[in-house]
Amino acid sequence: MIVFRKPLVEIERPQMEADVVIVGGGPAGMACALRLSQLIDEHNEQHPEALLSKENIYVLEKAREIGAHCLSGALLDPRSMLELLPDFETEAPLDAAVTQEAVYYLTKNGKFKLPVTPPPLRDHGNYVISINRFVKWLGSKVEEAGITVFTGFAGTELLFEKGRVLGVRTDDKGVDKNGEQKSNFEPGYDLKAKVVILAEGSRGSLTKQLIGRFLLDSERNPQTYGIGVKELWELPPGRIAAGEVIYTMGYPLTFNEYGGAWIYGSKDNRVSLGFVTGLDYADPRIDPQHVLQAFKSHPFVAKLLEGGKMVRYGAKSLPYGGWWCIPPVAGDGWMVLGDSAGFLNSQRLKGIHLAIKSGMLAAETAFDAMMKDDYSLDVLAKFQDRVDKSWIKEELWPVRNFHQGFENGFLSGMFHAGVQQFNGGRGLKEHYSNHAGHESMQRLTQLAKNGGAQAHIINAAKGDGELTFDKLTDVYYSGTKHEEDQPAHLVIHDTTICNERCVQEYGNPCKNFCPASVYEMVEASDTPSGLEIHLNASNCVHCKTCDIMDPYQIITWVPPEGGGGPNYEGM
Amino acid sequence: MADTILVVVEQKEGTLNRVSWETVAGAQEVAALTGWALEAAVVGSDVGEVAKEVAAKKVAKVYAIESAKLEPYTPDGFAAALKGFIGEKQPKLVLMPHTYQVRDFAPKLATALNRALICDAIGFKYEAGKLWFTRPMFQGKFAADVSFVGAGPYFATFQAGVYRGDKVEEGSVAAAVETVNVEIADGVIRNRPEAPFKEAKQAVDLTQAEIIVSVGRGIKEQKNIEMAQQLAAALGGEIAASRPICDSGWLPMERQVGSSGQTVAPKLYLALGISGAIQHVVGMKGSRSIIAVNKDSEAPIFEIADIAIVGNLFDIVPPLIEEVKKAKGA
Repeated sequence: MIVFRKPLVEIERPQMEADVVIVGGGPAGMACALRLSQLIDEHNEQHPEALLSKENIYVLEKAREIGAHCLSGALLDPRSMLELLPDFETEAPLDAAVTQEAVYYLTKNGKFKLPVTPPPLRDHGNYVISINRFVKWLGSKVEEAGITVFTGFAGTELLFEKGRVLGVRTDDKGVDKNGEQKSNFEPGYDLKAKVVILAEGSRGSLTKQLIGRFLLDSERNPQTYGIGVKELWELPPGRIAAGEVIYTMGYPLTFNEYGGAWIYGSKDNRVSLGFVTGLDYADPRIDPQHVLQAFKSHPFVAKLLEGGKMVRYGAKSLPYGGWWCIPPVAGDGWMVLGDSAGFLNSQRLKGIHLAIKSGMLAAETAFDAMMKDDYSLDVLAKFQDRVDKSWIKEELWPVRNFHQGFENGFLSGMFHAGVQQFNGGRGLKEHYSNHAGHESMQRLTQLAKNGGAQAHIINAAKGDGELTFDKLTDVYYSGTKHEEDQPAHLVIHDTTICNERCVQEYGNPCKNFCPASVYEMVEASDTPSGLEIHLNASNCVHCKTCDIMDPYQIITWVPPEGGGGPNYEGM
Repeated sequence: MADTILVVVEQKEGTLNRVSWETVAGAQEVAALTGWALEAAVVGSDVGEVAKEVAAKKVAKVYAIESAKLEPYTPDGFAAALKGFIGEKQPKLVLMPHTYQVRDFAPKLATALNRALICDAIGFKYEAGKLWFTRPMFQGKFAADVSFVGAGPYFATFQAGVYRGDKVEEGSVAAAVETVNVEIADGVIRNRPEAPFKEAKQAVDLTQAEIIVSVGRGIKEQKNIEMAQQLAAALGGEIAASRPICDSGWLPMERQVGSSGQTVAPKLYLALGISGAIQHVVGMKGSRSIIAVNKDSEAPIFEIADIAIVGNLFDIVPPLIEEVKKAKGA
């Protein structure tokens, strides 16, 4: 019997008051904290008689160290950082300035280079960065500025009172596998805050609670996601130039899947490569980690990686849906930023700069609220206005229908994208609709037994141990570690569905779409199918794919005990 | 007097900690290169038997540094006893294994004698009459050669696993054992240890086992573990398992070998029905001999096995148990 994690009831929790609580120490959360600190400093300089304090502003970060759970390609558009810290290029850890881009269409053994790089993918002026290192640096500036960052603390529940968000409850520590208190038990804090700012990244768990509670998705397109599976490699010198950017489409995906790869040359002969698979594919047996391994087997990539060494692995989901999927971003006592809100340009494949800008705008809104000592909807709703009037909307509006154009496959998507280029994103109608990705999943009975065209990307990759790897080996290189004796944080609301229905209908796709081998079907004597779901929760890399892609939508990912998770050094 | 190396071995409740043999082996190498004499010391109460064990090796002399106050172990007690002894004997170099206990008292001891301590050394060099110890830095990304400044006694500890305990040279005759009774004044020992406890009662310390029979998913059912236990018993070893077995509760967590369990390096590791995922392998690849039984010829475990048996473990293990019993009975 699996015992799932939930906050303990009927216990006393320490109460703390705060002005601003930012949940999530990624680029959005850190930019928000830093901007807020700048505004307070400016104010305090000019108004020494009415000083504002930073003491009651907190950032909660579930990882043990700032940046440890941050993963991305990544290419940074410096636009927002130049606004936040005009001199940032002299001190931030930037791996390389982009020097050249190339886009390839891959077939099984061949490649075709696009003669012209499509404008959205032109990266001159951008930087190849490691988001993990970048956030570590940004976080150090936040701490220098005097804002407290609580690492190892996860926000597990939002505290509500009628229509208002009151605060955040942090994780209960020292709870054993059976939900009982261990000798080192510490109840989570109830952090009462005047405003809670959610910057949890893609598919945030508190953001999900918020959206569910206030039906924030009722007048929006359902958010759709992709999963990025990444490996960091060390190559023999001269193989790829620092700042060289390559994008690929096509193999190993077919016209029925959305996605593509990136290869970024970083410094010190390191290369960041990964494959993003849209989480809206039809065949439940598709395995995104296997997709990455198949991609590496392509002669073009295999040649690039020959003689190299894989040093790190990780995966993360990303929100593709664009403008129509962004929920209301402010309410009574709350704001939502970055990937949690869905501020990502899926045409350019960039979101970090938008996350940072959203953090800055939220900080300006929070500062207003602090000045007026009014954190109600009236003041916080200005965040939405600020976003609408900023270059966030300028950038996202023309691509508002981009991902939606791919609802009917690759070819029609390219066609729609083409039309949208010419009419400011309108395409063939003002507002394209889309489905939630998991609804595209077909039942096994509807699919070819041997996988048909997808045969090479379904089920577990075997790996040769040098160029390609099986999932367990890859997971080892994510450095993921959790306290073993704790309840399972992948909350499955009804495991009989896994054991009895899903087994027949979809073949338990969780074991395929999870990039970390968390989900396994093992032999059982007491289920009709002879199989039961088994969780290797401590393998989890916090990507949220299960929460997104489960066809029955019965999985809720909640944060495990704070401090646990991947170690994305250099990612 | 001639330069001496003093190895301080570790004992607990009258049993020598196996890692001490590694330190003695390392110290023998230092002695061979430098030409210095090698002596050993055991600290505790009533440790004559342990001293005799050490005296059987190639050392010039063994000291049993004794006081009733040295049982149980306290950092103040050990530091005081050794400070007095070393202060008097003035060995040139004091070597110890880098164990938890040594980490607890060695800094105090070195400071009390106003000397530096080089810890967790992974090797040493002796060049032109100068002794250098090699230490890992930045989680092993660099190695640094460190030497002492000033006069001895010098203090250094060796990392576990750097030297092979079984490479210790035997003595041609047993060395002399001298009991040194030390006086520890009242008030020197400031803490009184309570009975040791562990949250989970640990009945076995796999890291001390010389033979381990380990089972994985291939064992299929819980009741089949009995067969592996029989083999372990016949061999005089301990039973262990890979993660899925312990996750299912078929064996307790303390018997799990791997990245989220124990790291072991026994003389013999028998892997039965274990695929050899990297998470398991990192916990046992230091084993001296690895024998793997698996019906999948491509199982990764075969990459590190010294002897690979591709076959059904249910066909192989029962006759193996009989053969072991016969061989032992003979």
